[in-house]
Amino acid sequence: MTDSAVLETTVAASSGGGIMRRLNVLTGTVCGVVLAVVFYFAANAMWATHIGPYGQVPTGSDQTVVAMLLGWVIGFLIGIGAFVAPFKWLLGRDQSHDDEMFGAGKNQGVMRYFRFTTDHKVVGVQYLVLAMTTFFVGGVLAMMIRSELITPGAKLFGNQTYNSLVGMHGIIMIVSTIIMVTGPWGNFIMPIMIGARDMAFPRLNALSLWTLVPVVPMLLSVAFLGGIPTGWVAYAPLSDQAPPGMDAFAISIILFVISSAIGAVNLIVTAVTMRTKGMTWSRTPIFVIGITLTSILGLVALPCFEVAMFFTVLDRTMAATFFDAAHGGSQWLYSNLFWLMGHPEVYVILIPAMAAVMEMVPVFSRKPLFGYRLAVLGEIGIVSLSILVWAHHMFASGWAPALNGPFMLTTELISIPTGLIFLVIIGTLWRGRIWTRLPMLFIYGFLWNFMIGGVTGIFLSDVPADNELHGALFVTAHFHYTLLGGALIGGMGALAYWFPKMTGRYLDEKVGKLAFWLVMIGLNVTFMAMFFSGLRGMPRRVATYGHEFAVSNLITTLGAYVIFAGMLLFLSAIINSWRSGEPAGENPWQAKTLEWMVASPPILENFEVLPVVTGDPYGYGEEDSRHAIMAKSHNSHSSTEAHS
Amino acid sequence: MSADDGAQGEAMSDSTSSQPPQERPGWPSHIKALLWIVAILTVVLAIFEWWWPGATMPVDASKTEKAVQDTMVVFSVAAAPVMALVWGIALYSLFKWRHRGDGVPEDGPAIRGNNKVTLTWLVVSSLLTVFLLVWGLAELTATTSTATNPLVIEVTGQQWVWSFKYPQEGGVTSETLVLPVDRPVLFKVTSTDVIHDFWLPEMGIKVDANPAVITQTATTPTLLGTFNVRCAELCGLNHAFMQTTAKVVTSADFAAWVQSNGGTVG
Repeated sequence: MTDSAVLETTVAASSGGGIMRRLNVLTGTVCGVVLAVVFYFAANAMWATHIGPYGQVPTGSDQTVVAMLLGWVIGFLIGIGAFVAPFKWLLGRDQSHDDEMFGAGKNQGVMRYFRFTTDHKVVGVQYLVLAMTTFFVGGVLAMMIRSELITPGAKLFGNQTYNSLVGMHGIIMIVSTIIMVTGPWGNFIMPIMIGARDMAFPRLNALSLWTLVPVVPMLLSVAFLGGIPTGWVAYAPLSDQAPPGMDAFAISIILFVISSAIGAVNLIVTAVTMRTKGMTWSRTPIFVIGITLTSILGLVALPCFEVAMFFTVLDRTMAATFFDAAHGGSQWLYSNLFWLMGHPEVYVILIPAMAAVMEMVPVFSRKPLFGYRLAVLGEIGIVSLSILVWAHHMFASGWAPALNGPFMLTTELISIPTGLIFLVIIGTLWRGRIWTRLPMLFIYGFLWNFMIGGVTGIFLSDVPADNELHGALFVTAHFHYTLLGGALIGGMGALAYWFPKMTGRYLDEKVGKLAFWLVMIGLNVTFMAMFFSGLRGMPRRVATYGHEFAVSNLITTLGAYVIFAGMLLFLSAIINSWRSGEPAGENPWQAKTLEWMVASPPILENFEVLPVVTGDPYGYGEEDSRHAIMAKSHNSHSSTEAHS
Repeated sequence: MSADDGAQGEAMSDSTSSQPPQERPGWPSHIKALLWIVAILTVVLAIFEWWWPGATMPVDASKTEKAVQDTMVVFSVAAAPVMALVWGIALYSLFKWRHRGDGVPEDGPAIRGNNKVTLTWLVVSSLLTVFLLVWGLAELTATTSTATNPLVIEVTGQQWVWSFKYPQEGGVTSETLVLPVDRPVLFKVTSTDVIHDFWLPEMGIKVDANPAVITQTATTPTLLGTFNVRCAELCGLNHAFMQTTAKVVTSADFAAWVQSNGGTVG
């Protein structure tokens, strides 16, 4: 397909699409419910309650729940048309060009967001809305948890409910933070940033999103199936005792990992093979490198969680004994599998946000990125080491005490590449022209919060100190500082930065800045007080506590309410600005990466003519530097010069 | 540690002009100002870091807890210059070179890196890491060295109570922990159902209680008094209530307690 032929296809694709014209999220839901019911009856017919080889009695309801949920997801994907194209191929029929254009959402207006649409920009918006929805649910759960802990005597929920709230808050926030930067901006921005028209596998892109959408009601169904008693880590053997909510949790994880793996493959192949002419690796924006490394890490590590959940389901439904120490299994098998995922996972959360911060800081300092190669080395260092540190979560488990020293070594080594990232950011700020627009505030917030989070991680990496601090609120405060204060704040900055490109409008600066300050002050109050609770000796995941922890918990709860208020304000800014914010042009921040050389929002094909890259995108202050040659077209949308 | 990009010979100390670079003797004024700010911040932070662990952590009732609290203080104070440098540079840049007014700022100097700065940073951060490691390994060895003839106590966690058995004292069992002061104690910990976590906050020791496995932790209590035993791994419904007390008494009182519970002093 030549570029000129693309331009000629301006007539509405009134043909094309076939059955896809009739399929959308509604048909998906209906089909999902139907198949869930069918699988329910099938499961009940197939499984009578039976005695396992060691006398265990797997309850019929576990198999039924698993079967129903699988039916729901498979039915949903069938109903939304995820398998239409592959099925047609099996029958020997290719998609026509009109089919592909319909599939990409051409001329469908807002309906394209409710269909199995392959355009990466549509998928990016869908991920953003999905992430905001799950964050909202996770935030409400946090408010419920903190309200229970406002005083020692507060009793809003029963203990089982409270334990479930804690677990649900954890998993929903984990899912939200994993997708929050990679989903919206890895999808929407990254292909444009490398000068491509879409991702390597557009249909897989839609599949990874639409696999995740039915997971959300599945996760919420945990609440109606007895909840989970384990926290999001779902340790065996407590997971074996749990009500059927545990099965819903496990199936949700399995599908979430499948969705993430599909997305990761797509991102990696896109970045490796579809960079436009002239974009060598050393001219590739740091955000692209970060997303690629994150995807590699996630692809390797997340499946460990999937395996652990699969084994949990087998233990619960088929009388397997993977984690049953009395019958040849081991609970430490679970812990190791889980943390093999669990540590890389936090870097899967952090690195995209960190890479976005490093992408933004040159723009708002008007200076080149200080030490581009350091940034790349730092990210590679973090990713490589993160696979070698998992057992620092198990220092207190009693598993392999001889390995405590080596894991302390590898964990403390991570501070070196992480320090390089800090050097890159502050080196870029130094002697720049500091432009304090909304994204820059989030960069400063990241620097403050992640510093505290990182330093407190050092305490936890020391084995004897960890023996005091593990399982207590010090750990909780540490990871909230890094994940909320670091990654989420960086992610909100990325949203403020790329919002004009996605919507054509500025995110309201005034409301955004107020929201920033509320969240910043709130989170520092909340989690600094939480450090105090943990140091004093308060365990984590507890429904109540002794009077010596009353003051710190009260402060923590009040701070949490402030965070929530700030987040609601931020949400209101997003919604209002999306509908009626101040229009932004092609390049409101005068940045140099390729996404700022096209319209806001971009045309379906992103570029009229694909650019040719001639340098890196950080040439601020350099006379002759130019990132790319954008060919002038007679259909050019903007009056700004074509060279970046 | 110095951010010595003044060595490049450029010295643009005001934020509005794009004048050609000028040679200045010695270090530019902004480097000196930054060093002052970092020094002051370091002192302020170091005071806070030195105060913070002692003010918040429980009383140290064992040799292990003393070692832990010392570590917290040392690591905190060591973090102070790092935090001061990073925040100092970030805040100094914000106040010194902030763009005012509407419109896009003009470009800053095209500094893509600085080998001296990078090398210094790498060397210092590596040295700091080595220090943390050496300290940590020494502390780990000290706190896990096995004593001769410790008092052995078998700890069993089950949903949702702790129980203790003294095999050397004739098999005395108890639901509260009683320990003689200044005598090394070895806890052998297990569980009858799910994973629990045996934690003595004031003594700085913790180990998971696993079903069908025995794990160990050890310390020497050094303070008389009543302390806490808590469960630190979510173990189901009443995890928050899985607590008991640990009473540290003189050896005479301990012998008396053993005998009054039907045991024989071992």
